[in-house]
Amino acid sequence: MATITINNLQKNFGEKRAVDIENYAINNGEILGLVGNNGAGKTTFFRLILDLLKADNGSVQINDIVSNESEEWKNFTGAFIDEGFLIDYLTPEEYFYFIGKMYGLKKEEVDERLTTFERFMNGEVVGQKKYIRNFSAGNKQKIGIISAMIHHPQLLILDEPFNFLDPSSQSIIKHILKDFNVQTGSTILISSHNLNHTTDICPRIALLENGKIIRDIDNTDNSAEKELEDYFNVE
Amino acid sequence: MLLQELRKHAKLAAKRHPMFEKNKFGKFYLYFMTIFWSGYLIFFGILFGFGFAEDFPTMEPYHIMNKGIFILLALDFLFRFIFQKTPTQEIKPYLLLPVKKNKLLNFLLLKSAVSTYNAIWLFMIVPFAFITTLRLFGITGLVTYCLGFYLLMILNNYWYLICRTLINEKTYYVLIPIIFYGLLGLAEFTLGNPVSTFTMNLGESFIKHNPLGFLGVLIVILGLGWINRAIMLKNLYAELAKTEDTKVKHVSEYKFLERYGEVGEYFRLELKLLFRNKRSKSMFRMGCFLIIMLTAMLFTPTYEGAFGKSFVGIYNFAILGILMLTQVMSFEGNYLDGLMSRKESIYNLLRAKYYFYSFAMIVPFILMIPAMVMGKISFLMAVSYGFFTTGFIYFIVLQLAVYNNKTTPLNESLIGRQSTGTGFQSLISGLSFGIPLLVNNFLRIALGETISLWILLVIGLGFTFTSNLWIMNIYKRFMKRRYKNMEGFRDTK
Repeated sequence: MATITINNLQKNFGEKRAVDIENYAINNGEILGLVGNNGAGKTTFFRLILDLLKADNGSVQINDIVSNESEEWKNFTGAFIDEGFLIDYLTPEEYFYFIGKMYGLKKEEVDERLTTFERFMNGEVVGQKKYIRNFSAGNKQKIGIISAMIHHPQLLILDEPFNFLDPSSQSIIKHILKDFNVQTGSTILISSHNLNHTTDICPRIALLENGKIIRDIDNTDNSAEKELEDYFNVE
Repeated sequence: MLLQELRKHAKLAAKRHPMFEKNKFGKFYLYFMTIFWSGYLIFFGILFGFGFAEDFPTMEPYHIMNKGIFILLALDFLFRFIFQKTPTQEIKPYLLLPVKKNKLLNFLLLKSAVSTYNAIWLFMIVPFAFITTLRLFGITGLVTYCLGFYLLMILNNYWYLICRTLINEKTYYVLIPIIFYGLLGLAEFTLGNPVSTFTMNLGESFIKHNPLGFLGVLIVILGLGWINRAIMLKNLYAELAKTEDTKVKHVSEYKFLERYGEVGEYFRLELKLLFRNKRSKSMFRMGCFLIIMLTAMLFTPTYEGAFGKSFVGIYNFAILGILMLTQVMSFEGNYLDGLMSRKESIYNLLRAKYYFYSFAMIVPFILMIPAMVMGKISFLMAVSYGFFTTGFIYFIVLQLAVYNNKTTPLNESLIGRQSTGTGFQSLISGLSFGIPLLVNNFLRIALGETISLWILLVIGLGFTFTSNLWIMNIYKRFMKRRYKNMEGFRDTK
């Protein structure tokens, strides 16, 4: 299980402050949904957590490990932000085995874990004899999500996981994420523009505006949807 | 109107490229090299102007120069492989606009014709013409002579583009220029100098402003331009369709590498990177081709001297590594975020690369066995150069892992973005080519061949057996620069 603690985290792009979060804690086993308009700083926030960007100020601690000072947190973290994570000249199987190997998983273990995703893959991902670069955007998204989860990370970070997916795959991934959280107790962070999906699976939702978390919404009783619809002016 | 707009976009693309602002060293290097080459060419222009007059008193100096036009064009052709990039204009964004494709391609060709690069030889020709033609043919002769030369460079530019486009598609098209220049050389030396006689007359027709000379060159330029356009149009559809590997018949597994843990996994990744992507595959093939060429050179009388042997010997081992490893991390830039989210993956990746290119030394070594048996080079020389490569040369080239921060597209070819590399890349590449030869020959002259080879062997073994240490050092320095590099790779994807 993983805890994330944010301390005075700031990131500027020129004049624009993309992320500005004073103190924020994400607890063990929580599913946190991150919502906000385009340019609110969701992806930048994720990149800062994953040490893919240099913070101008402050720090991120994952289980008391400062993420830019040690790489130890990488052992129990899984993430998929965008296609830049995929090695696209591998077939999906090769990619899963490659990732598995990085976390000490044998081929058989990877194969066994892939069975959990059979419905999600819908017979279109493995066994296709195609390199990842030749898959559709939706199937690339599936490959990225699975690769982030294959080693059962204690911390899972997914940026816009519902993008490019067909409606049934969106529904399946929601269930997979919920089950994954219940079974492994892992902490999950997802960002999304889909308010229905976010409120469906996230008991806690952070609303980001101009890089700041302006609301920390308790959604344990599914009450956040109305508040979010009002904020986003959805009729 | 359209041309102006596209030209504006092309200029903005270069000016607003993320690396343009950031790469101060690259900019300095570019300006320095421009001044250096210009000065060099002016020097040669003056030298030839006076030198030819002294050495060939029975002929006019411009006759000698004109006889050598063919050599000049062949040199220019070779230099273009180093300096000139294939068209950089992104054509795809314009394809859905109501603009005819032919018009767009014409623009690309026109742009390359008016490129300032084509004028670089004028730094040599103008002072030469000033010294040799002005007194006989006046200012008109000087101007038309230079103009004729300039047109020949445009012609050469189109010839180069045809070859480069085809070679980018399939490496074996490299045979076209080889056969072409080979046949011309053969004709020149066996049929009574028809090529140099022709170019001498052509040059004279420029000086005497004979319209037939200019007309002939213009017709050839138009013809080559037309061929270029046809090839580019064909490639454009190939690029858009991109159907070549949607279904892979046989997926190579390289299962024997499974037992070597993470490094074995990255070794396997390196193999797949090389053989499944157009650009890396072409570069690798080019490297192998050069190894074969260099080995063949060992059997020619030109390389029988000590310098020739050391030149061929060292580069035979080093060429593949220098060619591929100067790009270190640039291919990985395409998926670096994924690699960086895993612990120490870059360290293992660098080790795997190092082992791969060290094992690749076996190929030139085996190819050189006949030369060793025939006594062309000694066994000690081969072993010494081999280890000097895996030790010292790779040590230098792999430093680029710390500094490279520009993504090289894996599969784009002619009608896409062109990866130009950074100035620092060019410098390290140059150093890794120059230093070994310099060190080797300095030692050879100072201490004799055998001792120098032993010294190189000791240096090579030292660096080879401590490779884990210095690769760890490279990894640590890479991690210190990681944010800058990741930003660069992301911006140039």
